[in-house]
Amino acid sequence: MNELTNQQPVPSDARVFNDATQLATNVEPMIELRGVYKRYGSFEALKNIDVTVGKQEVVVVIGPSGSGKSTLIRCINRLEVHDEGTIVVDGIELSDDVKKILQVRRNTNMVFQSFNLYPHLTVLDNITLSPRLVRKQSRKVAEAKAMELLERVKIPDQALKYPGQLSGGQQQRVAIARSLAMEPNVILFDEPTSALDPEMISEVLEVMTDLARSGMTMIVVTHEMGFARQVADRVVFMDSGEIVEVGDPEHFFTTPDEPRAQAFLSQIL
Amino acid sequence: MMIWLRKNLFRSVGDSLVTVIAGSLSLYVLFRIVRFVAVTGRWQVVETNLALLVNGAWPTDEIGRLSATIVLLGFLGGVASAVAGLVTSDVDSEPPTLFQKALDLAIRLWPLALIVGLVLLLSTTTGPLLLTVGVVGAVTVGRLLGGLLPGRVRPVVIVVALFGALASIWFMSFGHSWDDWGGILVNFFLAAISISLCFPIGVILALGRRSEFPILRMLSTVFIELFRGVPLIALLLMAKNTLGFFVPQEFTPGAAVRAIVVFVLFTSAYVAEIVRGGLQSVPKGQIEAARANGLTPIPTTFRIVLPQALRNVIPALVGQFISLFKDTTLAGVALGFLDLLEGGQAITQQAEFRGQGLVIETLAFVGLLFWAGSYTMSRESQRLESKLGVGSR
Ligand SMILES: Nc1ncnc2c1ncn2[C@@H]1O[C@H](COP(=O)(O)OP(=O)(O)OP(=O)(O)O)[C@@H](O)[C@H]1O
Ligand SMILES: [Mg+2]
Repeated sequence: MNELTNQQPVPSDARVFNDATQLATNVEPMIELRGVYKRYGSFEALKNIDVTVGKQEVVVVIGPSGSGKSTLIRCINRLEVHDEGTIVVDGIELSDDVKKILQVRRNTNMVFQSFNLYPHLTVLDNITLSPRLVRKQSRKVAEAKAMELLERVKIPDQALKYPGQLSGGQQQRVAIARSLAMEPNVILFDEPTSALDPEMISEVLEVMTDLARSGMTMIVVTHEMGFARQVADRVVFMDSGEIVEVGDPEHFFTTPDEPRAQAFLSQIL
Repeated sequence: MMIWLRKNLFRSVGDSLVTVIAGSLSLYVLFRIVRFVAVTGRWQVVETNLALLVNGAWPTDEIGRLSATIVLLGFLGGVASAVAGLVTSDVDSEPPTLFQKALDLAIRLWPLALIVGLVLLLSTTTGPLLLTVGVVGAVTVGRLLGGLLPGRVRPVVIVVALFGALASIWFMSFGHSWDDWGGILVNFFLAAISISLCFPIGVILALGRRSEFPILRMLSTVFIELFRGVPLIALLLMAKNTLGFFVPQEFTPGAAVRAIVVFVLFTSAYVAEIVRGGLQSVPKGQIEAARANGLTPIPTTFRIVLPQALRNVIPALVGQFISLFKDTTLAGVALGFLDLLEGGQAITQQAEFRGQGLVIETLAFVGLLFWAGSYTMSRESQRLESKLGVGSR
């Protein structure tokens, strides 16, 4: 566990931002979106999205319901297909090329609001399925790794249970372990604590904080302002399919520049 | 006890009235049934023709082959059930005691035991007794051996057991051409073979109907809608009468093959629709999670979606299989097998029994046998469902 906390990410004050949607000049990009549009019929769910996420960076995305937050991160692992613009993930540009899509999905992973664990498999099988089938690990190796990860999310004693027998907080930690088992470079979180009872939120946020400290690149859609302030390197505010403001959390939460961001924050804080 | 009675049966005047009326009616019906079974029923016709009702006019010198096959099937069934049990073993509950196990078995299998007991009671030779002992032994040995197999060979074992079973039935047909099989044996084997074939075909059709490839989708849809739209008996009669138009005389298959083909075509269309319903019941989030976790479409379908879909439709599937089991009597009607039902009708026409209205007795016996089979299938499906329910949300 200490191994996780030792590796500190680059302190954010060391970065020099030219334009807030772009990266500090001394950081390598992990995810780049250029002029991305997503349409449902004539409705534009994403409009001209430009954003770059650096290696080991933690970006929190906030915004009102229906503003396109989920759509944005789901375009990054191709659960949604964007209509215009380019998306490059870890050096691979997303297109109709199935091989590239698979490669991107191997390098990234996603944690969902509703957990989406496989209910017919045990916790251990939930975690080891993809490593065994996709990464061709032997059952033995995969299970040893899975136990390590369950240790890391603090529920090693639940390995042989089924998801239905766990609490929401435990299920979400299993989902995080399942993502980590594929050893991704990026994890996308879509409101990971929104379906949880208040007393379980902190146990999940704790795991996510550890993960951020370990240097994982993360994009997190969340309404947890405390987490955003403590852990995020940057906050992206979206409204009506557009990125309205990008800034470092302290600045954003105290003195946002844009009126729409001010209005949103005054509503939820 | 008194409190329970008062609470559930005599809570008010209206309740008491209903209880008294329904109670006396049931008692009366029960009395008639017991009287029919024990006093007025003339069971000589069943007793005399027992062998005919069970295995048709099976030649005596081939009974050995028949018995051997049935014992082998029992063994394969035992292995398969033990291996399937491994898949669904419950991690939380403690292992049951021997007494609990015995009680459980008695509750589950009493209708079958009743039938076997009845047959043994009515039969005059020792053959059936030996066969019963052999089958029970084979199932037990099969279960014990199956339990020793390592977990990872499961799917292979189940496939081998299935093909072994089909092969041994084929072996059995050398002794006595299966177009001449009779009795409940025909119903049982037509149903068993048709079920094992229509299930995988139905699953493939269901997947085809949801596939991204327009041609596959169209073919599956046409197949399903075609065979669902025609009455089963019409298909069976067509198989009997019109096949000659399409296939040269020398190649026309026998009645058993025709019946099986019709049952498989017909039931797989229904199975496909049931499974499609199951596929639709799996939340979209499951597929998204699998994709996001790097799985390609084929493992996503077979590891994530299908297992959940099938679990959700076990009751409907088994219902369809039970209906197929009973519909095998239509093969008797349309294709001239002396199956359990036709045989049961025929024996009332024998010289010594004709004109005595014995059809009530034979139909009662026939009905009891079908009921025992259907009830056991339904019972076992509920058990499977609750075992698999361990993982449900
Ligand atoms: N499959 C779809 N078909 C049509 N419109 C869609 C579809 N999926 C999303 N949308 C629309 O796109 C917009 C953005 O949706 P999205 O789910 O990204 O919002 P969100 O910011 O994640 O909202 P929330 O906070 O409620 O999760 C919404 O207006 C939604 O109605
Ligand atoms: Mg959303």
